[in-house]
Amino acid sequence: MKQHRQWPRFAIVLAVLALIATGCRDSGTTADVEDVDTGAAPAETTAPTDTATDTPTETAADTATPTDTGSPTEGTTPAGDIAFDTGVTEEACPDAVNPDNGCIYLGTLSDLTVGPFAALAVPITDAQQAFWNRVNEDGGIGGFDVNVTEFVRDNQYNPEIHNQEYQAIKNDVLALAQTLGSPTTAAIIEDLNAEGIVAVPASWTSEWAFQDVILESGVNYCFESMNSIDWAVENLEGIETVMAVHYPGDYGGDAAAGARIAAEANGLEFTDVETAPGPDNQSGAISAVASQQPDLVILTTNPTDAGAVVGNAAAQGYQGTFIGTGPSWNKGLLTSPAAEAVQALYLASGPWTWTQESPGRDAMEEALGDVDPNDGYTSGWVWSYPLKAALEQAAENGDLTREGLLAAVSELDDVDYEGMLPDEAGNFVGDPNETAYRGSIVSEPNPEAIVGLDVLQDFFVGPTAEGYDFTQSCFTTTAG
Amino acid sequence: MTRFGQSLIQGLGNGSIYALLALGFVIIYKSTLVISFAQPALMVAGATMVVFLTGSFGLPFFAAVPVAMLLTALLGLIVERSALRPMVGKPVFVVAIITIGVDITIRVVVNRFLGNTIRNFTSPWGLDTLRVGDVFVQQRFLAMMLTTAVVVAALFAFFKYSRTGLAMRATAFDQETALAQGISVGMVFALSWAIAGALAALAGTFVGTGGSIDQQTWIIALKALPAIIIGGLDSVGGAVIGGLVVGVIEALVGTYQPTAAPWLGNNFAVVSPYVVLLIVLLLRPYGLFGTPEVERV
Amino acid sequence: MTALLTDRGGRGSRPRGRPELYTSYSSDIALLNTPAKRAGVLAIVAAAFALPFAVSDQVLVLLGTGLAMSVGAIGLNIVTGYAGQVSLGHAFFVGLGAYTAAVLSGDPDGRLVGFGLPMVVWLPAAGLVAGAAGLLVAPLATRLRGLYLAIVTLGLVFLGEHVFREWDSVTGGPGVGRDAVQATLFGNSLTAGGAVLSGAQKVYLFALVVLIAAAVPARNLARSGVGRAFAAVRDRDIAAEVIGVSLTKAKLLAFTISSFYAGICGALLYTITRTVEPNSFNLLLSVRFIAMVLIGGAATISGSIMGAMFVTLLPRFTQQVPRFVPFIGQGVTGGGLLTNVELEAMLYGLLIIAFLIFEPRGLFGVWLRVRNYWKGWPFSY
Repeated sequence: MKQHRQWPRFAIVLAVLALIATGCRDSGTTADVEDVDTGAAPAETTAPTDTATDTPTETAADTATPTDTGSPTEGTTPAGDIAFDTGVTEEACPDAVNPDNGCIYLGTLSDLTVGPFAALAVPITDAQQAFWNRVNEDGGIGGFDVNVTEFVRDNQYNPEIHNQEYQAIKNDVLALAQTLGSPTTAAIIEDLNAEGIVAVPASWTSEWAFQDVILESGVNYCFESMNSIDWAVENLEGIETVMAVHYPGDYGGDAAAGARIAAEANGLEFTDVETAPGPDNQSGAISAVASQQPDLVILTTNPTDAGAVVGNAAAQGYQGTFIGTGPSWNKGLLTSPAAEAVQALYLASGPWTWTQESPGRDAMEEALGDVDPNDGYTSGWVWSYPLKAALEQAAENGDLTREGLLAAVSELDDVDYEGMLPDEAGNFVGDPNETAYRGSIVSEPNPEAIVGLDVLQDFFVGPTAEGYDFTQSCFTTTAG
Repeated sequence: MTRFGQSLIQGLGNGSIYALLALGFVIIYKSTLVISFAQPALMVAGATMVVFLTGSFGLPFFAAVPVAMLLTALLGLIVERSALRPMVGKPVFVVAIITIGVDITIRVVVNRFLGNTIRNFTSPWGLDTLRVGDVFVQQRFLAMMLTTAVVVAALFAFFKYSRTGLAMRATAFDQETALAQGISVGMVFALSWAIAGALAALAGTFVGTGGSIDQQTWIIALKALPAIIIGGLDSVGGAVIGGLVVGVIEALVGTYQPTAAPWLGNNFAVVSPYVVLLIVLLLRPYGLFGTPEVERV
Repeated sequence: MTALLTDRGGRGSRPRGRPELYTSYSSDIALLNTPAKRAGVLAIVAAAFALPFAVSDQVLVLLGTGLAMSVGAIGLNIVTGYAGQVSLGHAFFVGLGAYTAAVLSGDPDGRLVGFGLPMVVWLPAAGLVAGAAGLLVAPLATRLRGLYLAIVTLGLVFLGEHVFREWDSVTGGPGVGRDAVQATLFGNSLTAGGAVLSGAQKVYLFALVVLIAAAVPARNLARSGVGRAFAAVRDRDIAAEVIGVSLTKAKLLAFTISSFYAGICGALLYTITRTVEPNSFNLLLSVRFIAMVLIGGAATISGSIMGAMFVTLLPRFTQQVPRFVPFIGQGVTGGGLLTNVELEAMLYGLLIIAFLIFEPRGLFGVWLRVRNYWKGWPFSY
């Protein structure tokens, strides 16, 4: 009798363990599978046929050894002798464009659902998928196709979740095609450095210029604000007080730091107002703008909150100028209740925009097809160029391992942006004070324009940014 | 003085949103003794319906709102029949948690329709303001206050003078006796959820005017909870007053706290209703107008 | 627990096959009073200790998180399941514990406040600080009942969120957060990989040890006089007062102990998740804990553990669903009727409803059914 009672318990425990092990097996690491000879896909999340072999006994054997760093399953490709390990396979990508090519897996950590930048992040991710698809259609890189669809994870703009998702995919990818958010990327930067994983940020904070593993493109928020204030002082009348309304953390803090520096340089009075994401949380900012009535407000939030602040401040009688940093703009603002105020009082700064003509822009339009234009697409597209250049360089060097890619990045002094950024941008070698690109643009809202913006001032570098000694990130310099 | 006036109007306007949500909640509680956490979902559902009715279907605003109210009332009915009717007789706590589950489920479905972008609908007022002396009064707040006053008056009249309202009051008083008198208690349950749904839709419409609807809008409905408690769980009038009080306090704190007491932090206005809640409960544990529970041992 | 060790004579004289015949008081009230229970618990514990060597690191981190949440779920079960005081404020105490641990263990020269103290200080301190907060909150609870109490505890969560968001020198501010510290025990790191065990394995084992150390006292509490007082307060509080159970004292104790557990849970989570961000301690976390308690089984310790593991592992399972079910899309950009993210959210809500309707005793109730079936087999009707 006693025997009977114990067996079901054991059976249940075993079944539960088996289920758990199933879960682990599916996102196992390259070290899991000892089948260099059979050539089966190490990244088991791909082929649905893998699941047919999901029996409890098998999973226990298959699951990894405790140390999960990439194992040297070295191999050669049909194209030649290129070394590779983590995140690169000889097997073709699922739904591959070139079935004879191997596959390079790149990870994406983006705010796809509930965070404040979800409306931008989805176009960014789509644009990147279109970009790499175009690369694949042109033959891939070094005999490999690039896959950015397999390891896409949502970070909800939360550093904790970002870290968790990063830990979940990092052993399956060669590099990160996108890590969205400044504070979120700051949460994983130590690990990125430790593991030597190259990452393309979907943010423009000044800290990235000092990180070797980060392949940033475009002017950072710090210089952007400096340029905006310089431009405003030169082109608008009666600017004597500046207020920075911004999110906390690297994103807003960086822009506010730049604004403070430029305000001091121009002899303007500066106020700092921090605000939390959420249209419900803007009453403090609105109140500050409406009561203190600064001549210029540098707005660094997301589009919904920007609309709330601009609209409600105007409704309370504010008549000054708002200049919003890049991610604060969305064409939808021109059909929102704040539309009138936005058209009257708002200007947008930014690192680039769709309306600027270039071969790259045309290629992007062709690759994307029929979409609702949004500078999220532009950004996702432009950001991918350095990684493509680095991968090509690494393939040329014959080393598509993580170390090889990092070495290629350290040689990267010229990236072909196909005209979307000036030639001097795209130099990752040398002192950031010399090589960091400092040019931004200023646009005004226009409901008829492609993304709702007409360029007022094409790429320019204001005097403050020109003369600024860039030895560390702006955010830590001035803020606490 | 002008800032005070502006804050007061804004507070009363936002307060009417909370008052409507609290009202729906209290009506459900009084008739069915169920604590419903599904109001946020109904509110967002109603707002989304208005977005689609004015957008894709092209209805004018004043036609879309009643239609959305009706549809949300229907939704409330469906929720009551499917999720809550089987739970009659279960402990109160269990049913409350079930309404949380319902809330999550409805919100997932609604989020599917909302997507990731900002959704606007064109209301007749937008962010237009009226100038009364030195004070900029936003028209939408006036509209909100007026509509709420009319709706509340209509509800009171309904409860007091109509047969169905009398039936509902009787059921709230004593379900068994009402049943014995021939009142269809099931109909009363269904009707109370329907009314709550309609009120939530109206509240959602107000939230959307002058702003936008996205996946985070439901959090605004949580502010109705302190309103309910301050007013008292089973007092209909208390719900309205509680809602207005919460709105006014939030607005006043939002305007004056950053300068008067900055050490309280940014956006203290968001949590100020809860502080008031704690104070009220310390003095009157059943809210301002609630009836103390009498329990037989 | 002493009954396990003493009174061997009492148990030894029991006839075989009659495990429920108790011949002494101590064997009656023993924690593991039948040989089957003893063997079963031993097997489960052994399997749990053996697991790190069979399973990959990523899953271990997930399981470790589940174990940490179990500690919190046990705490919530004490106050809500055993003592009947509905508390939606659990997230606040968890956050308090996490930040106490962060401050006490943090780098003294870092960007944020830190004291650089070792684990033996900050782990219990996290519990104590949270417990003290619970003690302060409890007098409110004694005056309020039912929904009023629930909303007040909810208010506590919002106030706590506000404080965490604003106090940047401690928390780093919203959207930024604070980095984890290396937990060390006698100089050996508990989180970084070493020669014998990897970081994830160490973390898992650490969480397991803490969970066992937390669960056994909780189980003992439940079957002691205090636990019986809790049950009396939950079932009929006025009658309990009449027979002499001090309501105030019972409620105070319940909140304090529950918050202590929540604090420990927070400190554990902090070591596992590597970064802590102030917006994480919100209403959703509280509802998660309530879901764990309800799905696992109110007023049971093993139920809390089961519920916590279930809710923590749920996202992992829903991630695999798109592979098997054609109309569920993968990730947020995949098409289909529902994406797996939405499926998870809906499942969450539906599961809560389903458990409450069909099995109010939760997973523990399911286990009871299975056990009773096999107990009576082959006469299980």
